Amino acid sequence: MTQPHIISSFDRDLEAVQALLMRMGGLVESAILDAAEALEMRDEGLALKVRDGDKAIDALEQQIHSECARLLALRAPTASDLRIVLTVMRVAAALERCGDYAKNLAKRSLILAHMSPLGGTTGSVCRMAKTAVLRLKDSLDAFIGRDKVLAADIRDRDRDIDQMYNSLFRELLTHMLEDPRAISPAMHLHFIAKNIERVGDHATSVAEQVIFLVTGEVPEEERPKADATATTSRSTEE
Amino acid sequence: MNVMTVVERDVSETRSKMDARGVQVWYGDKHALKDVDVAILDRTVTAFIGPSGCGKSTFLRCLNRMNDTVASARVMGKMTMDGQDIYDPRVDPVQLRAKVGMVFQKPNPFPKSIYDNVAYGPKIHGLARTKAELDEIVETALKKAALWNEVKDRLAAPGTGLSGGQQQRLCIARAIATSPEVLLMDEPCSALDPIATAQVEELIDELRAHFTVVIVTHSMQQAARVSQRTAFFHLGNLVEYGETGQIFTNPRDPRTEAYITGRIG
Ligand SMILES: Nc1ncnc2c1ncn2[C@@H]1O[C@H](COP(=O)(O)OP(=O)(O)O)[C@@H](O)[C@H]1O
Ligand SMILES: [Mg+2]
Repeated sequence: MTQPHIISSFDRDLEAVQALLMRMGGLVESAILDAAEALEMRDEGLALKVRDGDKAIDALEQQIHSECARLLALRAPTASDLRIVLTVMRVAAALERCGDYAKNLAKRSLILAHMSPLGGTTGSVCRMAKTAVLRLKDSLDAFIGRDKVLAADIRDRDRDIDQMYNSLFRELLTHMLEDPRAISPAMHLHFIAKNIERVGDHATSVAEQVIFLVTGEVPEEERPKADATATTSRSTEE
Repeated sequence: MNVMTVVERDVSETRSKMDARGVQVWYGDKHALKDVDVAILDRTVTAFIGPSGCGKSTFLRCLNRMNDTVASARVMGKMTMDGQDIYDPRVDPVQLRAKVGMVFQKPNPFPKSIYDNVAYGPKIHGLARTKAELDEIVETALKKAALWNEVKDRLAAPGTGLSGGQQQRLCIARAIATSPEVLLMDEPCSALDPIATAQVEELIDELRAHFTVVIVTHSMQQAARVSQRTAFFHLGNLVEYGETGQIFTNPRDPRTEAYITGRIG
């Protein structure tokens, strides 16, 4: 796969779409981190920057999509070349969703900036965001390095974010039970946390794409799952 | 916002090298080409595609007046290169063919040495005054044709002793030795195996840095791989002409769509 094609422009086309994808990944990572910082620091300027920056991410996804369509039509890629194009398209779609979550976080942070804080919850959200971004970054590194060991490791690390989400969920429930005025900010924070958890899920699916890219097979066995919030309400009643 | 474009397919060249306006060709009473308008862009690979017999080769031969040599052929319309009418009576077709070189389907080296195959054109056109100059022309042409490394130690060996792919690259070297501005290729890979084909395609991509290349191909995938502009011919008509990516992802004419998706032959 590392051997160059006889038609060198084929290599340059393949490299170009991957470079675009990495660019997009970089933008999405900073959007999430900036949005989390805007939330914690109540920095409305930064929140607005993230909100408006999503357009650039969407435009990159569009460009990747049309370049991949050209590649498929003009180069008729096969085997590992085909998997590169398919993977790039899927990862771009996942990154686009993550960009949307960052934008949503930024918007909610603008509302939360005018509400009283709920204990240390924004700090927990930020830690969660950092963890999710780290997984996303690792999964993109695994993509570029064609590193299936790292990819498998990311897939198994899914638990930490789920656990952070669960404990934040309980914390928010406690605030809401104690004071009905906390319901509004807690709901916003809960949606944010849920979206960050989804970023983690997207990082996992990127990692699975990397395994597909390297091995040609989609990993099958169930991933460990630690999201227990569907049953958490009962446990908090106890 | 698109800071980065996929450089390879960036068709920045917009200067027209050759222009055809209302070109018609008859062979006797057979109307082979009907009212073709085309602007061939400078330093760009333009591919002609279409079912067999649709007039691709006929149009290609109009570009260097090879149809003059076909007794039954009548060519009408206007054809220019850099704005100059190439059918003007004052234009010498032999001189024109030095500027608009041609490579054929079957590699056809002369039964001479590799060196002489390439040196032939420059010699008859008086392009070299000394042996050293001729040597340099031969070396440059063989390098541009991506053949130099394979033959530099056996320039005196017969050209016909090379492999098919090498012979075709030798013919390309021969065509570029007279410093043409345009290179016409009529199905240059149809006699070659896939590896030799890929090597010639890579060469075509390199050639567009120096030349305007027009290639007739029966392989749509080849057109997609090597060209920046594609023209689709059908029954003597130029149906659609545009940027290759557009033709292959979103053709405007239903006949183009039918052909490239394998629905008409
Ligand atoms: N020398 C010729 N004499 C008579 N008819 C010809 C001659 N060359 C081509 N034709 C006819 O003109 C039409 C276009 O031919 P051509 O340009 O060779 O098509 P293509 O290259 O697309 O296969 C065909 O119908 C062919 O039979
Ligand atoms: Mg033909």
